[in-house]
Amino acid sequence: MIYRRAASPLHAARAAAGGLYCVALAACALSFQHPLVLGAVIAAAAGAGLGAGAGREVLAAARFTVPLALLVALVNPLVIHEGLTVFFRLGDIPPFGPVDLTVEALVYGLLLGVRVIAVALCCALFVAAVDPDETLRLFRRVSFRSALTAALAARLMPVLARDARRMADARACRPGGSDSRAGRVAVLRAVATTALDRAVDVAATLEVRGYGAHTAVRRAADPWSRHDLAFTAAAAFVAALTIVARLAGVGDFAAYPSLSAPAGAAELALAAALVAVALLPFADRRGIER
Amino acid sequence: MVPLALLGVLAALLAGCGAGAGDKPAGTRLTVTQDFGARAAKRLDAPKVSGSETVMRLLQRNAKVTTRFGGGFVQSIDGVAGGRSGGRPFDWFYYVNGVEASEGAAATRLHPGDRVWWDRHDWGAAQRVPAVVGSFPEPFLHGIGGRRLPVRIECVDVEAPACRMVFERLAGLGVPAARGGLRTAQTEQTLRVLVGPWIQVRADRAFGPVEEGPGRSGVFARPSPDGRRIATLDARGRTARTLGPGTGLIAAAREGDAPPVWAVTGTDAAGVAAAAGQFTERALERRFALAVTGGRPVALPEAAAR
Repeated sequence: MIYRRAASPLHAARAAAGGLYCVALAACALSFQHPLVLGAVIAAAAGAGLGAGAGREVLAAARFTVPLALLVALVNPLVIHEGLTVFFRLGDIPPFGPVDLTVEALVYGLLLGVRVIAVALCCALFVAAVDPDETLRLFRRVSFRSALTAALAARLMPVLARDARRMADARACRPGGSDSRAGRVAVLRAVATTALDRAVDVAATLEVRGYGAHTAVRRAADPWSRHDLAFTAAAAFVAALTIVARLAGVGDFAAYPSLSAPAGAAELALAAALVAVALLPFADRRGIER
Repeated sequence: MVPLALLGVLAALLAGCGAGAGDKPAGTRLTVTQDFGARAAKRLDAPKVSGSETVMRLLQRNAKVTTRFGGGFVQSIDGVAGGRSGGRPFDWFYYVNGVEASEGAAATRLHPGDRVWWDRHDWGAAQRVPAVVGSFPEPFLHGIGGRRLPVRIECVDVEAPACRMVFERLAGLGVPAARGGLRTAQTEQTLRVLVGPWIQVRADRAFGPVEEGPGRSGVFARPSPDGRRIATLDARGRTARTLGPGTGLIAAAREGDAPPVWAVTGTDAAGVAAAAGQFTERALERRFALAVTGGRPVALPEAAAR
């Protein structure tokens, strides 16, 4: 998955605003265990992905994360024996004693899995719709060397991906094609073998472009666009909703000893507000061809 | 391959596997107290219970509980937490059928008829109290770990009224017991009740540490080696008072993982008879041990030093 500039409000926003927006959504997912809130974050991230024209990338991330989420859901009841509702008894297994699988541990595992998916969607949205160069430029102020290393890595991966595509095309012209396992391994080996050379190429290119200069090139400060303001405001609202809801005990969830997930008006309002606030910036599509 | 799979399923079933929660353990009782049973917080004769129950689940089903160490140990019950209070260490301990558990409550399976007793107390004087008398008629009625054990009453004088009284009390509760002299039989995996003056009872290995104090035995009474006096102790292990002739004592002790041994004893024959007179569920309920002086029961440890 790589960043491609598209005509969308999120792409039009500066990296700081887009990054904050994604981080706020991910932080919200990490702050709550309530299924309604996690569902709202997933809906918001998926909606934002569609709004940013990166629906396919976000969906691909979700598809890759689902097996991990299922693994978490299945492992949790095996290792956590809290909960009152036993649905399967594995008997006494030394040295653990009585090992009972409980509904509470299973549900908690499922919610951990859902949370993994929610965070992955936010990360996928960030990767697909927030300009990595601009993000790295932000971090240049914090740590020059780290930003340079990250820039090198971030720039190298797309180069290697393009190399792999070209090699696969070339391989497809030969007998056997590139669809076979041997063909794919050959392409992978060739890409890995040339990775160091290509890293040097990328480093040289970055140096020529002035990435290696210790003195920062001062750019004239861009005025804040309506999209910058909209996404920054959305991030702030999501963060504020998260903090206020946590302090007020809205969206509290307890799995042990018995499941407790109040789904009253407050929780519904919180979920609806999260989705609305997160998707509102996509309503304004003026000036998205930045 | 199919026979192997069937064998695996059969082995799993025999090992205690199965869908659902399984059968409910019937006839259980849950007691929650503080300060060695002095303050009763909760007693449920028919607590909410489900199948495949552990001591932890029974408690969580019937009280508001917070846990620590991954849910294996209890930190607080109904808002009353362990920790330090007045410079003394307090924590929640539990006893199943009068026997202190050796593992976490989440790992202790509940069996039909079990009496579970949670007590929050100062453990500065005795880190362990291996056995208590407050769940009487357990462990005689339903045994330990779901296994009923044979009961043997060992008396200094088999024909003494105290010995007969203890035998009849157990018989009246439906507990068949054998009677014999002290240390006259090989008694592994047997619940023993020793009846006789302390000077004779002290020779039993289970009660050997009692004279060294609660830190060694878990019994908050310290009989003198000659058996003529019994010092009752408070929760900090300090002597509350020293009782003379005619004093009785009912206590339980345990040597390692062996079944607990009970003693219905006293400074003399009168003391033993007085103790035997208190060998009832009502007198022993919620007592870690019991002294009897002037015909009146005194819960041990005593409430405060005098």
